Amino acid sequence: MEPWVVATSLIFVYLLATIVLGVVANRRMTVDMEDFLLYGRKAGFIVLYLTVVATFHSAFAFLGSGGFFYTHGIGFWAAGTWTLLVGAITYVLGPRIWALGKAFGYITPADMLADFYESEAVRVVVAIVSVVFTILYIQVQAQGLGYIINVASGGRISFELGTLILLVVAAAYLMAGGLRAVYWTDVIQGIWMYVAVWVGAMYLAYELFGGPLELWRQVQAQRPDLLSLPGPRGFFTPGMWIGMTITLSFGIIFQPHMMIRYYTAVDAKTIKLLGATTPIYLMTLYIPAALVGLGGAVAMPGLEIPDQIFPELLFAHAPPILTGLILAGATAAAMSTLDSILHANMTVLTRDVYQRYFAPDATQSHYVWVGRGFVAALLVVGYVLSVQTFDFLVVLVTLSGAGALQLMPAILGVCFPGPRTLTRLGVLAGLFAGLATLYVTLVVIPHPMGMHGGIWSLLVNSVAAVGVSAVTPGPSTATLERIHGEVERQVYGSST
Amino acid sequence: MSFVALFFLAMPPITHALWDRPESWIGGFPLFFVVLLAIYCALVGVLVWALRRGV
Repeated sequence: MEPWVVATSLIFVYLLATIVLGVVANRRMTVDMEDFLLYGRKAGFIVLYLTVVATFHSAFAFLGSGGFFYTHGIGFWAAGTWTLLVGAITYVLGPRIWALGKAFGYITPADMLADFYESEAVRVVVAIVSVVFTILYIQVQAQGLGYIINVASGGRISFELGTLILLVVAAAYLMAGGLRAVYWTDVIQGIWMYVAVWVGAMYLAYELFGGPLELWRQVQAQRPDLLSLPGPRGFFTPGMWIGMTITLSFGIIFQPHMMIRYYTAVDAKTIKLLGATTPIYLMTLYIPAALVGLGGAVAMPGLEIPDQIFPELLFAHAPPILTGLILAGATAAAMSTLDSILHANMTVLTRDVYQRYFAPDATQSHYVWVGRGFVAALLVVGYVLSVQTFDFLVVLVTLSGAGALQLMPAILGVCFPGPRTLTRLGVLAGLFAGLATLYVTLVVIPHPMGMHGGIWSLLVNSVAAVGVSAVTPGPSTATLERIHGEVERQVYGSST
Repeated sequence: MSFVALFFLAMPPITHALWDRPESWIGGFPLFFVVLLAIYCALVGVLVWALRRGV
């Protein structure tokens, strides 16, 4: 049997498995918004762990990171810093967000921010930021899926058709089983992608070089420029290192699909355990990516699309069954993030827009069906956006992360009680100033002075938020006592 | 504080000034790669330690 038949068949077997899980999840589901959107706030450690890591690592980890090592060298090992920061942020911030969600019934990030800052304008702006910047992420994942299936089929399934098939499958099991289906499929996807990356990378290292040590020696002998900073193309300057660390940690954590996961935990202890242990998975996934990217630069130089180095090496050097299993793992990496983003956008649109402004008193069943309708609409939008292709998935991820990063001052204002808090006008001013700066520093003058645009925008956002808050009225005393009191009960065990 | 101190060891300018030594290798791996991996493992250790202490 030809390699492309085996590889494509295995991907389709995997897709069938996810649909079966979606159907089973549908049978377990109760017609209730909290169950459909938040897994009934009952996610235990193992399910939550695997969904968080599978969602965090996407097509970017599987394809983009290998491509980045291939092009820019060892500087991409900076990736470890943002995975560690994700763990620390989860450890410190996660239990606070969980406690507020449980106490006040929050479902989306906008729920929490609008309640604290007593502002519908904050709700609308946060909802818009959440959707607009994560739609870019749908595009990234969908493109990754298109690449994978196109390469796996040897070009017989077009990029566009591959993207459409995988988007439809992800949307189908999400509509069937809600977040329960997403979590269950993420469990499989999280395990599969981790094993696939490691097995694939080690196989290639031994097949091509006789082992990882010889791989490193060959890189040193043939491409020493890949082993120093800032890399062959001067990408990993100190400013970019710091910028990517912050935007790819805080920026991703503050995206709705990650924040919603905090709400779903069964208790705060689960989130702390999650924070302490997620970096193990997240960081170690970049070790095989380094072997693939750096080894690929020696074994297969001059690749037109560096992001395709992993599948290209597999097709050239690995047996078909192994290639198929690993590419199904790559599909899992992209789909686990894609389904979570589709779910988060559905949740924001259903809760923050439809329920709030169009039908506040409808039945639970009505909202569940409206949510399914939003998924169908997002599928169409995501597909259209995906037709435009890009070489470097990781750059798009950074753009998406930098947008959600603008929510950081507002969220910290809620979660960390202090003598002086931000105000609704301060938060809005900060968001608008930050988003305008983001456009300038990413599009007009990319990364001024070697510093990532996300950092410039966050600085301007913070200054504007603090400055305007100093001269405008803040939340009422009752709200401060209610919400900050709950945070203090979570952190210290009692309100002070 | 331990986390922050260790974290700075994995950030510029230390990464670019101290660990960027392509000529130095440890056990067959580049020094840059090994040192950062050790720092990352230590950071995980701090988080696990904080969890066990109930911090």
